[in-house]
Amino acid sequence: MLLLQQVTKRFDRKMAVDEVSLTLDQGEIVGLLGPNGAGKTTLIRMINQIIYPDKGNIRFKGEIMTQEHLKYVGYLPEERGLYKNMTVEAHALFLGALRGMSKKEALKSLDFWLEKFDCLDWRKKRIETLSKGMAQKVQFICTVLHDPDLLILDEPFSGFDPLNVELIQAELIAMKKRGKTILISTHNMKSVEEICDRVALIHQSKKIVEGKVAVLQEERKTGLFGLKFSGSMIGFVNALWTGFELVDKEELGDNRFLVKVRLRGENTFEDFLKISLKEVKIEAAWEILPSMQDIFIQEVTHTTHQNETTHEK
Amino acid sequence: MKNSWIIARRELMERIKSRSFLFMAFFGPIVVLGITYSIFKLGGKEQQKWNVLIADKGQLFDNKIASREDPSITYSFINDYVEIEDFASNPKFKDFDALVEINHKIISNKAALLFYKEKPAFNMSVNIRYQVERRLEEIVATEQYKLSLRDFRSIKQPLTIGFRNVYDPYNTAVDLAGWVGLFFGAFIFLFIFLFGMTILRAVMREKSSRIVEILLATVSPKALLIGKIIGIGLSALVQLVIWLLVVSLGLYFFRQTIFIDFSDPSMLTAAMPSDYNQFVELVFDRINFVPMISVFAVFFVLGYLFYGAFFAALGAVSGSESDGQQFLIPLIALLLFALYSGYFVLMNPESSLAVVFHYLPFTSPVVVMVKFAMGYPPGSAYQLYLSAIILFVSAFLVLSLAGRLYKNGLLQYGHAVRLSTILRWLKRN
Repeated sequence: MLLLQQVTKRFDRKMAVDEVSLTLDQGEIVGLLGPNGAGKTTLIRMINQIIYPDKGNIRFKGEIMTQEHLKYVGYLPEERGLYKNMTVEAHALFLGALRGMSKKEALKSLDFWLEKFDCLDWRKKRIETLSKGMAQKVQFICTVLHDPDLLILDEPFSGFDPLNVELIQAELIAMKKRGKTILISTHNMKSVEEICDRVALIHQSKKIVEGKVAVLQEERKTGLFGLKFSGSMIGFVNALWTGFELVDKEELGDNRFLVKVRLRGENTFEDFLKISLKEVKIEAAWEILPSMQDIFIQEVTHTTHQNETTHEK
Repeated sequence: MKNSWIIARRELMERIKSRSFLFMAFFGPIVVLGITYSIFKLGGKEQQKWNVLIADKGQLFDNKIASREDPSITYSFINDYVEIEDFASNPKFKDFDALVEINHKIISNKAALLFYKEKPAFNMSVNIRYQVERRLEEIVATEQYKLSLRDFRSIKQPLTIGFRNVYDPYNTAVDLAGWVGLFFGAFIFLFIFLFGMTILRAVMREKSSRIVEILLATVSPKALLIGKIIGIGLSALVQLVIWLLVVSLGLYFFRQTIFIDFSDPSMLTAAMPSDYNQFVELVFDRINFVPMISVFAVFFVLGYLFYGAFFAALGAVSGSESDGQQFLIPLIALLLFALYSGYFVLMNPESSLAVVFHYLPFTSPVVVMVKFAMGYPPGSAYQLYLSAIILFVSAFLVLSLAGRLYKNGLLQYGHAVRLSTILRWLKRN
């Protein structure tokens, strides 16, 4: 669907995006992660033909991307706004027209989305009379109004309450099932884990990590397991003996505990469960995978450190 | 281009629906009409009503005066002499504002005197003079020469020799016509200023409301810039058409009702002092409105595009609402300078600086209007076209440069504008 090949952009002396390559297949949600100032917005603006790369190219459905392709793209920028004195309907018609929709199509689509978000009565309201959350919903509707094949969302969840985050997430997943491709730039790691199939991490204008969320977590797992139980802590620690290492423990009260354990030698998760069952009453047991937040922090600090040492040399 | 049109349409609709637009559209021309009316009424500070006493011992006037009633002047007759001191102090005459002495010698020496207590307004004195003179003419013609009034007038009409410029045999190039040109030019600049400010504010608002990034993802900055200028320009044109309609309807109404006497040519030649009605005559008879308005329209559009691009670029590079002001002042100074250049050309039409101003895109919209109103010498009409072409090309160039600033400036928020940044953006494509 979308192919970025060694895209590079420089502003005067500052490198904004450095040879970033990325592929987005049809029907997947890709998270674009990175600390502030990493170059995500510049990259997104290049995809949207707002600015052009100095080097490299961007292909959309196999063709070099041009302004013409933008009618198949929906873009919700981070810095977004609406004309305050226009009505919701006038706004939808205006932005729809810019994306090549006829008045009839735009109105039909607007009806569909307003109904979906349960806000049919907003149609004639002026934007300035809407609350921030309502305005954001309108922005989202205006982005998807023309049923784009590729959706680019820059911080789509900022400013939404948890209920609306759920709503938007559910909608994005539904769109994905309909074969739409979605690129999300966000700092909301929880959402990334929940809806993204893949992520690309940009740091200091370079792409440093890319992969499926599950694979990234799998690759970076630390061999830690969590266990929640009730019973004797001393008995449990004795049972661990030399086969397992207690890394962390937390008392939950009422003789209930939460522990983190690392396996040693040839021992497996199953062995761990077996010896635990003998001593305590297990409430829950799981493999501790690193969160996207952990991976993010780990990768970013690692790269920063690496770059600093290279500079020092 | 389609996108520019969509942007333009939105701008147009937003503006037309706004209250300030409607206010300006109807209040503005009414103010213009009011000013025109007061110029026509020249000197009539307030509506004066005069009682005029005509001392006519010999009853020459037969106690009659104008055939047409004049609501502002009431004539009374006394068939006796009135001493001036008496008129001035006697309570009997306190209701009278003026005394006209008619004696039997008037037939031969054709002179009479009017004594006033307070100096009459200009048009009052004109009216009294006109009415008394007409009555005298009747008497002289019919009683002394036994002629019909018509014949008398045709004899009386003076032979005149006009001094005409050989290049302008119809004497269209009167200074006053130049003033009308300047008025048109000033009108262009008033609109450029008002709607230039609208462009500036619209661009800034778009920037601060952050809608611009959504727009830029579908429209090129140049298309956005052009759409914006055209949309606001169209609203200016709508405004202008309303102004022209209301003002011309008003002028027509004036001509049909209030100033009916002054536009009647037989009366003009009869007795009116020539300088009084010059402005009225100029507006109604001398100016050839059709070509004037065509030239006006061309320079209005081009001048607007030229300056509009400056305002839009200024809006795009400004970080916050107050930030653009340092660059706004030179721009306004330019506009004022252009207005002055129109006046300069009016005063020194043949100077070499006038030629420069005529072609300089900053000043040409107003200077061309002045020159056109004064009339181009035969064979030099090309100057008009040349100036229009220069303005067109300059507008195009400025639009392209503004497009660059627009592109680089629009996505920058909350920064300080520096000349160095602007120069860098101009270089960057």
